[in-house]
Amino acid sequence: MMDGACCGPGYASPAEAIKAPREKLLYTIAIYTGTGIQKPDYLATVDADPDSPTYSQVIHRLEMPGIGDELHHMGWNACSSCHDDSGMSRKYLLVPGVRSNNIHVIDTATDPRAPRLHKVIDGAEIKSKTNLSGPHTVHCLGSEIIISFLGDAQGEAPGGYLHLNKEFEIQGRWEETMGDIPFSYDFWYQPRHNVMVSSEWAAPNTFMPGFDLEEVGHLKYGRRLHIWDFEARKPVETMYLGEDGLIPLEVKFHHDPESSHGFCGAALSANVIHFWKSEAGKWEWEKIIDVENEPHPEWPIPVPGVMSAILVSMDDKYLYLNNWLHGDMRQYDISDPHNPVLTGQVWMGGLLGKAPEVNGVKVAGGPQMYQLSLDGKRLYVTTSLFSTWDNQFYPEIRTQGGVMLMIDCDVENGGMKINPDFIVDFGQEPNGPSRCHETRYPGGDCTSDIWL
Amino acid sequence: MTETRTITISNRGGATYQVDARRPLLDTLREQDVDLPYGCKYGGCITCAAKLTAGDVDQRRQVALNNRQINNGYVLLCVARAVTDITLEIGVESHDKLYRNPFLDPLEPHELKADIATPKEA
Repeated sequence: MMDGACCGPGYASPAEAIKAPREKLLYTIAIYTGTGIQKPDYLATVDADPDSPTYSQVIHRLEMPGIGDELHHMGWNACSSCHDDSGMSRKYLLVPGVRSNNIHVIDTATDPRAPRLHKVIDGAEIKSKTNLSGPHTVHCLGSEIIISFLGDAQGEAPGGYLHLNKEFEIQGRWEETMGDIPFSYDFWYQPRHNVMVSSEWAAPNTFMPGFDLEEVGHLKYGRRLHIWDFEARKPVETMYLGEDGLIPLEVKFHHDPESSHGFCGAALSANVIHFWKSEAGKWEWEKIIDVENEPHPEWPIPVPGVMSAILVSMDDKYLYLNNWLHGDMRQYDISDPHNPVLTGQVWMGGLLGKAPEVNGVKVAGGPQMYQLSLDGKRLYVTTSLFSTWDNQFYPEIRTQGGVMLMIDCDVENGGMKINPDFIVDFGQEPNGPSRCHETRYPGGDCTSDIWL
Repeated sequence: MTETRTITISNRGGATYQVDARRPLLDTLREQDVDLPYGCKYGGCITCAAKLTAGDVDQRRQVALNNRQINNGYVLLCVARAVTDITLEIGVESHDKLYRNPFLDPLEPHELKADIATPKEA
């Protein structure tokens, strides 16, 4: 499936994107790093065409060249930000390894069902040329690509941004300065407001070995959002979220390029932070969703949700969030971004015992990463967070592997329902149980495209 | 002349290997076809952790283990060098005490990572 009719990649507007053909293939990373299986991590192609005989199955596996990458997030070489550039196409998926530092450039266009490795940007070369490690979020901006890194070459915060050209050659660091930013993680930009917002996880040396909760109190984890002057490539303002914003992870602006409203999920506080530019031109923030900690029969202290991701539908009407430790996915109507309304909730896995089995498969882990179809009707959800963190909270995932489920979303009236006919059980993979994480669609999705 | 150490791997039938004492164990064992997990290769991520059950290693360069993990014998093979002859358990079978649920089983202040740990009260 290719992008829209005209010009370059992507769509002229979010409204055009919503009208695109339904996704038929999904690309999902699956990991063996940290599982005890001595095989490379891989990019799985999942058949999402309900009319296909292999619907809801992994139909291709592209192994990385070595073991131990820990594939995690990924991004496209091009999106709607170069819709007007007919010389560009959404052909390559950039897939970083958080632990190895390697960036895998994968050609998905030559044969969309069977992606092939185009190039590997060597992790050691990135370290030596840019002093960066721990790659995370990939965004293109026009024909160029920037990737957030969480550490320097020694794994210490705050890291910075790798700049690649469209040939995937290292251009150096993207940012002019990191200012006094202590940590990096995710970022999103909104060019018409000349703004980028970045969030904070922790230094690679802090989060890669697992989660020592005690280190939050020692200020080893983030609690701020950073406003950037996008063109000047400099941070200009910090929003200190404090206890309301412990471990602020995913940042999403409205897809509408005119809007200054954006959202961030604070994982440990399990809150959604809403930020926007006031009429006076000042950046403001507020907490709009607060997921309460839940009692657990065997724990001395209540369980936090661990809201590791958020997602905004292409029409900017719904916000989706997960509580990885609780086990629920939620849908909120954010038509009024100051006053979200809970419109849907489903359970899968989690530590509270609400849905240990879904569609006949025991779910290890909880809802963790998800991708929404452009029309907003299908939300694909996976269950693994990060190998070391999985091993701490859900040790059974080692033998059971991760799963991918699909949630049917009611875009008219709100509401969510787990689709009974779709489940991809990564516990049944040929080389043994693997763990699935982030998903992208060949024709674009709800976390890839930005409009200039 | 190269100084060598003898490495015994107890969960591989007690197999023994001669290694260069100055080089990281991950490299010298993999060169002898021991299949070992690894990730960052600089001591920052615990993917290559193994359990030391006899002998001493120098793993000054590791920055990922907390003091409880170190007290439980964990060593990061990507940076650890054998000071003496040693015995190891390798792979995820050795990871029974490497991971903990931090909400169920908190660390004491002296069990944190070295840069933030406080001495154990007498």
